[in-house]
Amino acid sequence: MKTAQAGTLESMDCLVTLTEAAPGSGIKINITGASAARFNSAMTKKINETLAELSVKDMEVAVQDNGALDIVLGARVEAAYGRLMK
Amino acid sequence: MTINAVKREIPDYIEGYGKVRHYEGAFARKPEGAIAGAKLRCFNSDITDKRVSSVKEAIKASGLKSGMTVSFHHHLRNGDYVVNMVLDACAEMGIKDLTLFPTALFGVHKKVIDHIKSGVVTRIMGSVNGPIGQLVSEGGMEVPVVLRSHGGRPRAVMAGDVHIDVAFIGAPTADKYGNICGTLGKSACGSLGYAFTDADYADKVVVITDNLVDFPAAPVSIPQTKADIVVEVPSIGDPAGIVSGTTKVTRDPLRLLISRYASQLIEASPYFKDGISFQTGAGGIPLAVTAFMKEAMIRKGIKGGFGLGGITGYFVELLREGLVSKLMDVQSFDLDAVKSIGENPNHIEISADWYANPWNCGAAVNMLDVVILGATEVDTDFNANVNTEADGALLHGTGGHQDTAAGAKLTIIAQPLLRGRIPCVTDSVYNVTTPGEVIDAIVTEYGVTINPRRKDLLDAVSGVKDLPIVPIDELAARARKMSGPTDPVKTTDRIIGVVEWRDGTVIDVVRQLKK
Repeated sequence: MKTAQAGTLESMDCLVTLTEAAPGSGIKINITGASAARFNSAMTKKINETLAELSVKDMEVAVQDNGALDIVLGARVEAAYGRLMK
Repeated sequence: MTINAVKREIPDYIEGYGKVRHYEGAFARKPEGAIAGAKLRCFNSDITDKRVSSVKEAIKASGLKSGMTVSFHHHLRNGDYVVNMVLDACAEMGIKDLTLFPTALFGVHKKVIDHIKSGVVTRIMGSVNGPIGQLVSEGGMEVPVVLRSHGGRPRAVMAGDVHIDVAFIGAPTADKYGNICGTLGKSACGSLGYAFTDADYADKVVVITDNLVDFPAAPVSIPQTKADIVVEVPSIGDPAGIVSGTTKVTRDPLRLLISRYASQLIEASPYFKDGISFQTGAGGIPLAVTAFMKEAMIRKGIKGGFGLGGITGYFVELLREGLVSKLMDVQSFDLDAVKSIGENPNHIEISADWYANPWNCGAAVNMLDVVILGATEVDTDFNANVNTEADGALLHGTGGHQDTAAGAKLTIIAQPLLRGRIPCVTDSVYNVTTPGEVIDAIVTEYGVTINPRRKDLLDAVSGVKDLPIVPIDELAARARKMSGPTDPVKTTDRIIGVVEWRDGTVIDVVRQLKK
């Protein structure tokens, strides 16, 4: 399986790892780190929205969070996807 | 259930704590009756040496039995060997079901977890940090932890809420008859302020030292009249963990901006005049505020009165330069502070009772003009939480937060609006440690937010150049917009922590986290 990463573990950033998934397997999200306890819903929503805009239907998403705001999280997902598609 | 004065729904009875006396307001509860005390003792001239050969012998001589309450002081901080040494010995001697009553616990005490699991320790009254806090938050103890402030603790002892059976006092220097000194020896820690109450009110006092000197040890912090037993051990602590190196002023531009705003607020307040007294603690922002204030004091030719609380080298410098005339020290954080309290008569050792107890004839905090504090979060009622983290885990003690906020004329919470993604200003804090009634201002990178109760302060800061004023609702809305919606903390109904206000009423409770 192909994987790609974007981001860092600096404060207010996150490290996003995308792994290709088999067609029909859907989007699987795993969030760990600073905001996982209180922002799981918001982060899941942002990741789903970002992947939908990129027309991605099947993907494994792992986020190691260190306090990233949504705008950062979205950008990291997009960048990781760009790298995966290269 | 009762809704208390900070709008928290609290049960009238808490399993493992007892009947709840509800919080009614910062200054509502008045004491009744007499001070509770220790047992009388008698030592005649047939005993001129109180030494025993080992910690176990000391425990045996103290009469410590299962079910009793043992106390410790935290001046050896993260270098402390005493708590572990005593609990290990208790475990080996088969003593169980102890109530641990420390002035604070640190990471170095994570071994306490083993003693909780094996039943040696079944109750903690005091702060729980790091792994112990996590264990407690997840339901690892049968009875709730009771959190008290630095002033609430001596109050509880003097009021008879807590009775100390045996106090173990780590002594950097002592003699065979139990005179204790904190400023000398390889484990010197400076002030022994938090240990005074324990020495005064425990039925038995065990002095544990690694620097036994000829009688009488001097200078004396706690005199021989309080000590029952003396034991010499190879080491009471790791000097690297006892005193920190010189604490540095923050270099983070965001925190410097916050510090500058806080300093501007102080400068514009009616308290910025000759004789100003303040407490700023050891954090990065408070130290930077002190640095900015120092500049302003020199610029305006103002001399301060006293500096209070945990003392750092930075405060020692202010004393040396004549910018404050006295330091009142309950805990000496670094080497400079330890050295200064040993040498300079204007650097005064004070007890926790003297520092912060609401139930005596006046604590030092009452004389305080300005205090700079932090908090994990504050809300639109200006209530502050310092005990729990964003995920609901009980990880921090109350320290002097409640006491200084209640005492100082100007109480400032200075912190960034967000920590990572976590908002530090919310609509309602998860746990109330200190009520908004005693908090006057919040300072963030967006400016100064004044409690509407303090119209005088709002007038004083309005029109100050380059000092933005942000109403609290606007600040909370901004934090919410940046962080996005939060998921609620998932808890069970079981109460694992009881947060007392400094007068012994229950201001809030903390519930067990759902795994």
